[in-house]
Amino acid sequence: MIIRMAKVEIVGPKQDLLNTLDLLHNRGIFQPDPHLMEQVVLAEDDRLQTLVLDENELRERSFFQDLQERVTTLLELLPKNSNGSSRLQPLPVMALLDELVDQHLAAARDQVGILNECRRNAEDLQHDLSFWEALEPLLEDLPKDSNLELFGVTIRDVRQLQNLDSLLQERTQGRCYISSTTTADGTLIGLIATDKGTAGNLREALTAERVPELHLPEELAGLPLPQRITALRAQLTIQLNKCNQFELRLIDMSRRWRPIYRQALAWLEERLALYRATATAYTTRLCFIIQGWMANDEVDSLHDDLNRSFSGRVVLEQQVIIEEDLDQVPVMLRNPGYFAPFEILSRLLPLPKYSSYDPTPLIGLFFPVLFGMTLGDIGYGVVLMMLAFFLARHFPAHTLASDIGKVLGIAALYTLVFGVLYGELFGDLGETWLGLHPVWFDRGKAVVPMIVFSLTVGAVHILLGMTLGALTELRRHQPRKALIKLAMLVAVVLMVLALVGWFYPQSWLSTGPLLIGVGILMPVLIAAEGLLAPLELLKTMGNIISYVRIMAIGFSSILLAMVANRLGGMTGDIMVGILVGGTLHAFNLLLGVFAPTVHSLRLHYVEFFSKFLDLGGRRFEPWQKRHP
Amino acid sequence: MEKVWIAFAAALAVGIPALATAWAQSRIGAAGAGTLAEKPELTGAIIILVAIPETMVILGFVVAAMILLMV
Repeated sequence: MIIRMAKVEIVGPKQDLLNTLDLLHNRGIFQPDPHLMEQVVLAEDDRLQTLVLDENELRERSFFQDLQERVTTLLELLPKNSNGSSRLQPLPVMALLDELVDQHLAAARDQVGILNECRRNAEDLQHDLSFWEALEPLLEDLPKDSNLELFGVTIRDVRQLQNLDSLLQERTQGRCYISSTTTADGTLIGLIATDKGTAGNLREALTAERVPELHLPEELAGLPLPQRITALRAQLTIQLNKCNQFELRLIDMSRRWRPIYRQALAWLEERLALYRATATAYTTRLCFIIQGWMANDEVDSLHDDLNRSFSGRVVLEQQVIIEEDLDQVPVMLRNPGYFAPFEILSRLLPLPKYSSYDPTPLIGLFFPVLFGMTLGDIGYGVVLMMLAFFLARHFPAHTLASDIGKVLGIAALYTLVFGVLYGELFGDLGETWLGLHPVWFDRGKAVVPMIVFSLTVGAVHILLGMTLGALTELRRHQPRKALIKLAMLVAVVLMVLALVGWFYPQSWLSTGPLLIGVGILMPVLIAAEGLLAPLELLKTMGNIISYVRIMAIGFSSILLAMVANRLGGMTGDIMVGILVGGTLHAFNLLLGVFAPTVHSLRLHYVEFFSKFLDLGGRRFEPWQKRHP
Repeated sequence: MEKVWIAFAAALAVGIPALATAWAQSRIGAAGAGTLAEKPELTGAIIILVAIPETMVILGFVVAAMILLMV
């Protein structure tokens, strides 16, 4: 249901403003609304103006903002390894924190810079090593000759490799050998071997052809290739150890300081939120005034709190919600135990306006009934109940899965009840095996009674919606609109009765006078609503006929269940029959959950709620601490 | 022969709206899928929108049932 809200005004001396805001912030039950004050300012009092902070307050705010930025930067630099908390009260040590944060920021920047460079070096070494390691197997094909000079090169593609081979053979008069391989990342690399005498020539040729040699740290350039690889591995190990040491230093710093700075940042955020909230306050020369909204049942407790904290200097006054305010009142929904899980379905709609209704209790009452009427099968009801029980027990309370479980459980109960009324257990299996008979009627055969039943439910549902629509207009102090809605309701009742009289003639139900009644009402409705009135009447009749889907979907469900039973029986083998029948029943159950859910919701959202629900409300968002 | 025509009329009464519903749902479904890529929070509204054209086939079904049962 929609919680009753109160429009309140809080007035006090200017010097108590920040403390008042702090108290409101801590309570988390008040939503300031500066637009309310704008109306007051425009209407009556030009002495009221928005609050301008004095010099000291501006300086303090600027200091806190600057400190917040530095603390945020520091926390971004420190590793997130510590979830510890601190009991430090930041305000008394703010000056010290101001000094410390600069030192820690400088230290952390240095450490992070060194660590990043160390990691870059390690990555480069790893990259070089991966290339040289890829060349290592190629060494086995070469003779163990100390006079050999070896080059590692990166080659663009196979074509360049062929060109390079011919060029080098030509330049060294055939005194060179080139072999190639591919690294893990797909780069083509080559190993070129030649004698030391022609190495200079060969290097020039590589430079001319722009074939890059594999990178190698300068200090390793003079080493033979196998030793280069060993030295690279050793260098990489040293570099990784260095990285670990720098990382450990940062982790240690984070472990000691991160909880303290997190606490300080939370405090700073709350404090700056207070300054931002001052924008919602208006002031005179000596006083401040804040207007806003809160739940009606919390007004007394906030009133007492303000009295106690400010010794009566700050006053809370409840004001009358006038008609112009109705669209501005924020909306808070709260539903008792049974209805609460159904909020997952009402949340699919925008919020209702304050003067309208919370759709949740109505969905809670009618959704399971429509679902049960559509699916209506003892077997399916039991299976869904077990599934609902699992969801509700296995998942923590108030989670989506748990709420789905509870809604499904209630819907399953109605499925079971209607299953008994229709005499269905996995379609006609109950009748075949257990001699089960319908208590009410067999909807597999009684198509017309089921259509009439669905239409009756539709008529009751829609007429209830129209009644609520008329009541909504009364609540909005619009008696003329309420009367028009009531006249439309009467016209629909007369039309429905006329149709009943036409299809099922009764001595007491004469179609003629009923249609004359509609004929009398119609000019009144056209005069009030224009030419749309007859269309609205037809639309409402269409809305009622739309409820036939309850019968249609249920009919298809029972036919599918019967097909599953027949096919299972035709296999001639118990096990295969159970497998075939079970699979088809599982498919039917899946459809049987999805289709009634979607269509029951659609009947609510499109047909029922369109008659009275006024959507587009503003959510109640009380001003509260981000870090409780 | 008359029974054949009655059955044929009932089939048309439910078949043509079924095609119309399918066409409407394909358009709404495609647009809905695009919308969901941008705004997943509209899932509920999209499911309802997709279900709206089914009224056509439901009404077709009612007419077909009336043809079969009342003619």
